[in-house]
Amino acid sequence: MVQYSYFPGCNLKTNAKGFEETAIAVSKKINAELVEMPIWNCCGTVHTLTSDNIMKRIAPIRVLSRSKKHIETLKESPNQVVTLCSMCNSTLRIVNNEVRKNQDTLDKINYQLEEDEEVYETDMEVKHFLEILRDSVGYEKISEKVVNPLEGLKISPYYGCMLLHPEEAKIDDEEMPDVLESLVESLGAELVMSPLFKFCCGSYHIVDQEYIVSSQVEKIVEAAKRRGANALVVACPLCAYNIDQQQKAMAKNTVRKSPIPVFYFTQLMAIAMGEPVKINHFKDHFINPEPLLKDLGLIGRKKTK
Amino acid sequence: MSYEYLKFGKEEKDFIAKIEEISGQNIYSCYQCGKCSAGCVFSDKMDRTVSQLIHLIQIGQKEKVLKSNTHWVCSSCLTCSVRCPRDIDVAALMEAVREYCLREDYEKIIISEISKEALDKLPNIALVSNFRKKTG
Repeated sequence: MVQYSYFPGCNLKTNAKGFEETAIAVSKKINAELVEMPIWNCCGTVHTLTSDNIMKRIAPIRVLSRSKKHIETLKESPNQVVTLCSMCNSTLRIVNNEVRKNQDTLDKINYQLEEDEEVYETDMEVKHFLEILRDSVGYEKISEKVVNPLEGLKISPYYGCMLLHPEEAKIDDEEMPDVLESLVESLGAELVMSPLFKFCCGSYHIVDQEYIVSSQVEKIVEAAKRRGANALVVACPLCAYNIDQQQKAMAKNTVRKSPIPVFYFTQLMAIAMGEPVKINHFKDHFINPEPLLKDLGLIGRKKTK
Repeated sequence: MSYEYLKFGKEEKDFIAKIEEISGQNIYSCYQCGKCSAGCVFSDKMDRTVSQLIHLIQIGQKEKVLKSNTHWVCSSCLTCSVRCPRDIDVAALMEAVREYCLREDYEKIIISEISKEALDKLPNIALVSNFRKKTG
């Protein structure tokens, strides 16, 4: 079994527990085990776009150097740190690319890391779990493991911004991606294409400018629903929170009364591969997906038989 | 038709230089095609579109730039940066305007004014990214 050094990021320990637990369970099934780094810190969630702020670049480099240390204790592990959160993925990747090009910045950051006896040598690669599924595991192997095909689920993939932007950190083509689409199809679900697959959900404006997020979410969800989707699949905990929570608010305050549940891609995999429902932590969702899954006979079937 | 006379002196040039320094972009690369504004998913919420703001930076109109809400509505989704035909990192220019404000000892969001309920409810990923973009 290949083991990967896995960087969780802050949100997978709080709001998105289901994302992490399902990912780890699924990764063991497909022989690409995710092993959490013993020590890690927040990557900073957003990458600084300034050219002169080195402070905001230290945290990602620290993560990379700690991951390098972690790999020495793993079996058959490539020099890769795997993330599940798309914001962590882009932040780590952009800074990794920057220090590869700019030795001066790297020296300055390493000087800061010296205190903790850490040093980074630009020899790590950042990978999103979706890339591992696509490139190292392959969709065929995933569909072989499916015991409970997701028949009846009409899923619209929503990428969000950070999986596809910017150029140097994208995991797929920025205008015509197909990684989530292929995954959804290999799990036996029906695919619904929505043109707003990377229409920004409003991101961190949820804290102080909620009106921006609510209008974005309304457009995203309506576009998917109009095309027949009954669920969305995402890879970013912030997208998931925004879409989920705003739909609930919309159902309360507006005429849009039929919200659709939001899944992480690993949750769909876990359901399809017959993992226990408990690890999905559906209780953390604002729109509970369980009624839909029960209607379609995807969960709870064993008990009735 | 009325005309407005624009001043273009040291203050204006300093402003342009500062924005270019923070962002690392050449502001005069922009030839105002408007692709960033057309593709921006937040254009409807901005009082000046992205390309209008860039034009104002080009002519050094600091006050008008800082009075707009454009750079505060931008959420760095980077759609504009990916699509720019002149390869300008447009989002970096927005970040530069934000940073310009924040470095002048200005806070867009005052953390102590957020209610405890909201802090408990919101995911930490939202809080961290918000504070990193909106506090100095």
